[in-house]
Amino acid sequence: MSFDAVRYVFRRPFQRREFLDQAWFVARVSMAPTLLVAIPLTVLIQFTLNILLRELGAADLSGAGAAFGAVTQLGPLVTVLVIAGAGATAMCADLGSRTIREEIDALEVLGIDPVQRLVTPRVLASTLIALLLNGLVVIVGIVGGYVFSVFVQHVSPGAFMAGMTVLTGIRELIISGVKAACFGAIAGMVACYRGLIISRGGAKAVGTAVNETVVYAFMALFVVNVVITAIGIRVTAK
Amino acid sequence: MTLRAAYPRLMPYYEKPIGVLSKAGNQTIFFGRAIRGVPYAAVHFRGDISRLVAEISMGTGTLAMIGGTVAIVGFLTLAAGGTLAIQGYSSLGNIGIEALTGFLSSFINVRIAAPVVAGIGLAATFGAGVTAQLGAMRIAEEIDALEAMAIRSVEFLVSARIVAGMIAITPLYAIAVILSFVASRTVTVILLGQSPGLYDHYFRTFLNPIDLLWSFLQALLMGLAVLMVHTYHGYYATGGPSGVGVAVGNAVRTSLVVVASVTLLVSLAVYGTKGNFHLSG
Repeated sequence: MSFDAVRYVFRRPFQRREFLDQAWFVARVSMAPTLLVAIPLTVLIQFTLNILLRELGAADLSGAGAAFGAVTQLGPLVTVLVIAGAGATAMCADLGSRTIREEIDALEVLGIDPVQRLVTPRVLASTLIALLLNGLVVIVGIVGGYVFSVFVQHVSPGAFMAGMTVLTGIRELIISGVKAACFGAIAGMVACYRGLIISRGGAKAVGTAVNETVVYAFMALFVVNVVITAIGIRVTAK
Repeated sequence: MTLRAAYPRLMPYYEKPIGVLSKAGNQTIFFGRAIRGVPYAAVHFRGDISRLVAEISMGTGTLAMIGGTVAIVGFLTLAAGGTLAIQGYSSLGNIGIEALTGFLSSFINVRIAAPVVAGIGLAATFGAGVTAQLGAMRIAEEIDALEAMAIRSVEFLVSARIVAGMIAITPLYAIAVILSFVASRTVTVILLGQSPGLYDHYFRTFLNPIDLLWSFLQALLMGLAVLMVHTYHGYYATGGPSGVGVAVGNAVRTSLVVVASVTLLVSLAVYGTKGNFHLSG
C-alpha cells in the first residue's frame, strides 16, 4: 500500500483539495502540543547543557549548544512525538471510523481508489506539516534557549548569538529537515494503513487501532532517528 | 436568557471560558475520586489488580505478540540511548573531549532521556490501551451496567488501574534505565571504537545513586499523571466508535505535554538551577 501511495503522488488527478484540507487538519491538531512539548524540553536541555558547559568553563558556548541541540535532536524528536502522537492518531481515528461505517467500501464500489483518494494526500500532508513543525520547534528551541540562558543563567547575550553558528550550519539544518520529512511520511503511512485495515469490532477495534498506530509509529521513528543521525554525522563530517 | 436572545453571536465567546473551567473542575473531581478510591480498590479488587499488572507489563491483543509494554519501552530507550551516544560522541568530539561520552551516558540518560522516553512509551502503549478499553466500555454502556449493579465504577476501573500501574512501573523503569545504559555503552565501545575502560571509568565516576533515586521518583509521578489523563479521557468518551478513536488521540496528545512538563518541573525542583553536581571535582 505504501508503494501505491508513493506511486499515486505522480499520477493525475492529484487530490489538491483533500491535501490542503488534511494539511490544515494536521497542523491544527498538532500546533498547540508542539509548542507545549517543545518549550519544557528546550528549557530542560538548555539547563542541563549550561550546567555542563559552565563546569567545563565554556559557558560562552551555550549558544552553540542550544542551536546544535535544537536543530539536530530536539526539532526532529519533538516533531516525531507530535506527528505520531497527535497527527497520526487523529488521522487513524478518522479513517478507522470511516472504515467501520463502510464508507471505504462505498468508495470502492463507486470505482474510486481509496489509496489515491485518501491515503496519498494524507501522507503528503503529514510530510509537509512535519517539515514545517520542525522549523517551528527549532525556532522555539533557539529562542527558548536564549531566554533561559541569558535571563536565568546569566550567559552573555553576545556570546550566545556569536556561538550559535559554530557547530550548526546549513548541512545540519538540511539533515534535520530530511529527518522530519521522513518521520512525517512514515507516521502518515502507518496511520492510514492501521485505519484502513480495521475489519470489524466497533468501538474497541478503533481504539486498539489508534493505540497500535502510536506504538508502531514511535518504534519506526526511533529506529529511523538512530539511522539518520548516524548517516548525517558521516555526511557532515566530510 | 434575554442576553442570549439579544446577542446570539457573542454567546459562544462568553460560554467558552465557562466550559473550560467546568471541564477543569470535572477533571479535578474525577481525579480526587480516583485517588480516594485507591485504598478501597487495593483492598477489594485484589484479584483484578494482579490481572491488570500482567496486562500492563505484557500488553493485550496484537501488542502482546511483540512483547507488550516491557518490550516497547525497552526498545524505545534502547534507541534513545543509541542516539545519545552517536550524537554525544560526535559533538563532544568536536571540542576534543569525546572521552566524556561515558559521563554523558550516566548523566543525560538518568536525568532526561530515560524518564522522558519511558513516560512516552508508557503513554503510547499502556495509556492509549487503557483509554481504548475504557472508552469501548463506556460506548458499549458497560460502565453504566456496572453502576446499575451498584459496583463503584471509578474505584473498580480507574483506581484499580492506578494501583496496578504504580506496581508495574518500578521494574519497568528499571529495565528502561538499564537498557539505555547498555545501548549507550554498546554504541560507544563497539560501534564507535572507544576503549571500554575509558568509557567505564567516566561512567562509574559520574553515576550518582541519588540521581537514580530521583529519576525513579520522576518516573512514578509521570506514570501517575499519564494514567490519570488516559483514564479520564477513556471514562468520559462519547460519540460512538469514532469517539473512542478521538478520545485516544486526545489522551495521547495531552499526556505528551504532561510528560514534558512533569520532567521539567521535577528536574528543576530536584536539581535546582545549579545542577547539583561537580565535574571538575
